[in-house]
Amino acid sequence: MAEIELIFWYWWVLALVLLGIEILAPGFFFLWMAIAGLITGIVLFLVPSTGFEIQLLIFSVLSFASVVVWRRYVGKHPEQTDHPLLNKRGAQYVGRTFTLIEAIENGQGKIKTGDSIWKVYGEDCPQGAKVKVTAVEGTVFKVEKID
Amino acid sequence: MTGFGIFVTALLIFAVLMVIMSVKSVPQGMEYTVERFGRYTGTLTPGLNIIVPIIDRIGRKLNVMEQVLDVPSQEVITKDNAMVRVDGVVFYQIMDSPKAAYEVNNLDHAIVNLVMTNIRTVMGSMDLDELLSRRDDINAKLLSVVDDATTPWGIKVTRIEIKDIEPPRDLVESMARQMKAEREKRAAILEAEGHKQAEILRADGEKQAAILDAEGRRESAFRDAEARERLAEAEARATTMVSEAIAKGDIQAINYFVAQKYVESLKEVAAADNSKVVLMPLEASSVIGALGGITELAKEAMAKREK
Repeated sequence: MAEIELIFWYWWVLALVLLGIEILAPGFFFLWMAIAGLITGIVLFLVPSTGFEIQLLIFSVLSFASVVVWRRYVGKHPEQTDHPLLNKRGAQYVGRTFTLIEAIENGQGKIKTGDSIWKVYGEDCPQGAKVKVTAVEGTVFKVEKID
Repeated sequence: MTGFGIFVTALLIFAVLMVIMSVKSVPQGMEYTVERFGRYTGTLTPGLNIIVPIIDRIGRKLNVMEQVLDVPSQEVITKDNAMVRVDGVVFYQIMDSPKAAYEVNNLDHAIVNLVMTNIRTVMGSMDLDELLSRRDDINAKLLSVVDDATTPWGIKVTRIEIKDIEPPRDLVESMARQMKAEREKRAAILEAEGHKQAEILRADGEKQAAILDAEGRRESAFRDAEARERLAEAEARATTMVSEAIAKGDIQAINYFVAQKYVESLKEVAAADNSKVVLMPLEASSVIGALGGITELAKEAMAKREK
């Protein structure tokens, strides 16, 4: 290995190759290694005397560190979507008002939404009363009586 | 290669494995459960997720989109003992991933079996006619029962539809015959009713005509009678007037009129060209008598003049 003179370019080439693999085989595995390769290349560019083993060490540690850093970042900056309720069927009903088709007795009743019937729980009230959905727990709505 | 070199190479391989194990990207519409040492700890939502490698593992991969299941065709015996083949579809959606993953084993199989047994229960309590005409009721009843039963599994059954209800072939044939007979019966009744109406109308018309005719005759009889009455009245008046005139004047004046009329009619009889036979009245003498009366009149007139 000693014969090969490693220069920073090699790391950048590796970073691009890894990025290419990531594009062709999406799985978000190689992206981090590409980042690590890029940074290792920069380190080598700044400190050309870094030994090969040290470079590998830096690359390995950075590969995993970039994942951890990204996780921290996402924790603070959640991703935005224009459909936050996609695939969350129950959550779409929160805040809406419905009529009870079955009285809430012992905390259990039913409402009709669209063409389906949902179970609700809340304080007892008679059939036909208006209730507002305040939360969803699994397949059951938590409701509040409104006047 | 130095020991440090081997260590670094091993570290590189380890790091790559760590990255591959910790990065989990969940596509939209799916949810993954995470198990730490085999025990459920959380759910991964769509997007890029990081789990702690080695101790965390992905448990189940659940599809949280609405899904459709075919309910295989089965035989159902209705309340009135007809054997029908029924199949359907169920739409459901996983609302609570951990429950769907761990509260039930083989979710699809469980749902299909639940729906099949409930189809038998609901349809078995109905007559064949009801079965065929009240699908909406059946669907609603099934939905309510199945949804209640599947709540603990964290899924929402949004819709159950009975696709096909297929009664046995001979039953279908007799149903067709029954329908045809029913229509024929209605047609026959309608035809008979039409006849009846027509006859009634015709008879009614004849009756009206007869009544009008009779009324006409009655009216004309009344008027005839009236006319005769008036004629008689006029005659009576005329007679009265004549007799009054006679009472005032001479009786012989009558003889004058009668004789005049008599002679006139004799002239007419003589003028008739188809008969040359002149019939003299039997009482010709009385006509002569009348002439005698005229003589008397003349004598009286003469006597008055001589005075």
